[in-house]
Amino acid sequence: MAGWIIIGIVVLGILWLIVIYNGLISKRNDVQGSWKQIDVQLNRRHDLIPNLVSTVKGALEFEQDTLEKVISARAKAVGASGPQSKAEAENMLTQALGKLFAVMENYPDLKSNQNVMQLQEEITSTENRIAFARQLYNDLVANYRTALQVFPNNFVSSMFNFQTEEYFEAPSETKAVPAVNLSIRK
Amino acid sequence: MPLTFIDIERQKNWRITLFFLVLMVLYLAVVALFSAALPGPLIVESRFWIFLVVASFLAAGIHFWFSAANAVDTVVRRLDAQPPDPKDDIHRMFANIIQELHVVSGNKRDIRCAVIPSLSLNALAAADLKGNAVIAVTEGLLSRLTRPQIEAVVAHEAHHILSGDCLETTVAASIFGTFSSAMEKIRYTSSNRLFASPAFLLAWVLLQLGYLLNLFISREREYRADAAAVRMTRNPLALAETLHFLSRGWRGAGFIGSGFEMLCIVNPMATALDETEGFLPDLLSTHPPLRKRMDLLLAMARVSVAELDSNVERRSGEKQADSAPNYFAMSPRQQWQGPFTGGELDVLPWLSPLTWVATGEGQSAERAWKDPLINAIFLRRLAGETRTDSGFTCPSCRQPLATAAYKGTQVFQCSFCAGMLVENGKIPRIIARTGRERPCTERLNALARSVLQQNQTRNIYRKVSAHGAGPVPLLPCPKCKNPMYRGFYSTAHLIEVDRCSFCGLTWFDQDELEMLQCMIENRLLPEVPLTV
Repeated sequence: MAGWIIIGIVVLGILWLIVIYNGLISKRNDVQGSWKQIDVQLNRRHDLIPNLVSTVKGALEFEQDTLEKVISARAKAVGASGPQSKAEAENMLTQALGKLFAVMENYPDLKSNQNVMQLQEEITSTENRIAFARQLYNDLVANYRTALQVFPNNFVSSMFNFQTEEYFEAPSETKAVPAVNLSIRK
Repeated sequence: MPLTFIDIERQKNWRITLFFLVLMVLYLAVVALFSAALPGPLIVESRFWIFLVVASFLAAGIHFWFSAANAVDTVVRRLDAQPPDPKDDIHRMFANIIQELHVVSGNKRDIRCAVIPSLSLNALAAADLKGNAVIAVTEGLLSRLTRPQIEAVVAHEAHHILSGDCLETTVAASIFGTFSSAMEKIRYTSSNRLFASPAFLLAWVLLQLGYLLNLFISREREYRADAAAVRMTRNPLALAETLHFLSRGWRGAGFIGSGFEMLCIVNPMATALDETEGFLPDLLSTHPPLRKRMDLLLAMARVSVAELDSNVERRSGEKQADSAPNYFAMSPRQQWQGPFTGGELDVLPWLSPLTWVATGEGQSAERAWKDPLINAIFLRRLAGETRTDSGFTCPSCRQPLATAAYKGTQVFQCSFCAGMLVENGKIPRIIARTGRERPCTERLNALARSVLQQNQTRNIYRKVSAHGAGPVPLLPCPKCKNPMYRGFYSTAHLIEVDRCSFCGLTWFDQDELEMLQCMIENRLLPEVPLTV
């Protein structure tokens, strides 16, 4: 009788282990899948930029410097690998593009050009998609990390050596911490 | 947990089963009611009842399948919604936004998008048993909201679809709702005899049930969709602004038929019930109070309603501050353009003394000739003209009329509005010479025909409603300055002209003289003999 009980507990334990293990695996796969999605969108942006540059080149004769920056930032971003360096290169590219769009505002010819407006809309949309993909990725990473660290799961994760995943960091300018004065005035 | 993890889309909903049961009971009741008229012994037999249950089950099943399986197509067809036009900038933006939301929700489900050709402000989502889903947005909403605001609306609708609660509402709407909006039409168009027929009775019961359905649709889902929209876009303020905006606009009452209201982001019919809370409203209303929704969103954004209000106002105020001494002008396409400085106005090709001009937002609009600064522009333009001044002023533009040759005779023409002042004696001459020089063009003919038609209906209407004073003030005679008499050239030629009976002059606005000639030449006459 006692033997049966022990066997029962062992079987339950194994089942429990399987459930947790599978849960962790599926969460990890979600994280990796969403990383691919960021890649897809980043590539989309990389593909759009040469089009934009060649379309506006003629009108922006005196802004070659800004265009150069966009081109070189794109080249760097295409070459980067790994979440950390990729995030940095992409932030550079975002800033360079922002500068270019600001400059384009001063050229009424460009603003009335259907082709340019379409490209600009495509790039805006792609940037939104990148932001959304990153948001999804970070949400999933947070989710996965929590699953690794909560109480019974942490045994399983250390047993099977699950690694944590890195966050895709936000652009540096949004990181500025608002200055808060917490000192008590007397 | 992010939405993407919740895979409830496949989950069968108990409410859908319930709808089916309600439908079946309904058919059973109707069939039983009619069979009550049959001879007595048949009713007692149990086989008869089994037959009834099976028959109503089949009928309900057929009804259910035909209305629920292709519900998305039905909704789209009924609203005449079109897929976004890829050549249209704003439509393309909308299609892009849907793709963006596919990204943020992890590409779990393919959602179609559609544009409803209506100026109202509303959006709706529909999903059906075949797995189709659509988000439809009105043309008015697309053109008046900013990109982040449209994003928030679409995210709200996307959550309805992803969470699965859209499926149950669509099924409910298509089983009872499409029926009820069809019924509304019948009620308006058909004669009373139809009300007595049994088919109508059945439909009427369905219609009433359609209202009762609101019991099953909880208000909670709107709150949840709002929260999910914020989670997707991280922008509670955009959604709050949108709701604020929608609360003040036309939400499509009358265009979006009843039965679809539970699919919409805001109830097309603004009812008092919707804006109250409590047990009964919670039970009967499909949408929570807009005010409450906005409060929740603004709490997330840490902004108060008053701040939102002043925000909106400040934004429009900023525009005004930038354009300190500026003018806004109504373009020929009836759109306000501006701000312009005096110099910019000077080079506007379409600026005429009749253009509506306002000196800033919120200022009342005036004709351009009334502003002495702008009037100077016209005087300058005239200085270059070689035509001789006739000494008369144009009754609408108040600019000098120049003598001009028309069909070999001399008339007085305004350089701006192209109106013509003709002495009465010369009119028959001009009409007789219609065929010479410039014959009637296609454009003039079409114009004359439509003016004729319009004036004809107006003429009849006017007789019925006992001479309503027209909104257009009477024009002063260019010669004696007395108000001119406005009327049709004759009862057979319905062209509105202004006449001064003292001076014997007739004023034709632009194209009116030409149209009169075309009417006479081509015998465009009123179709109905007009009796006085």
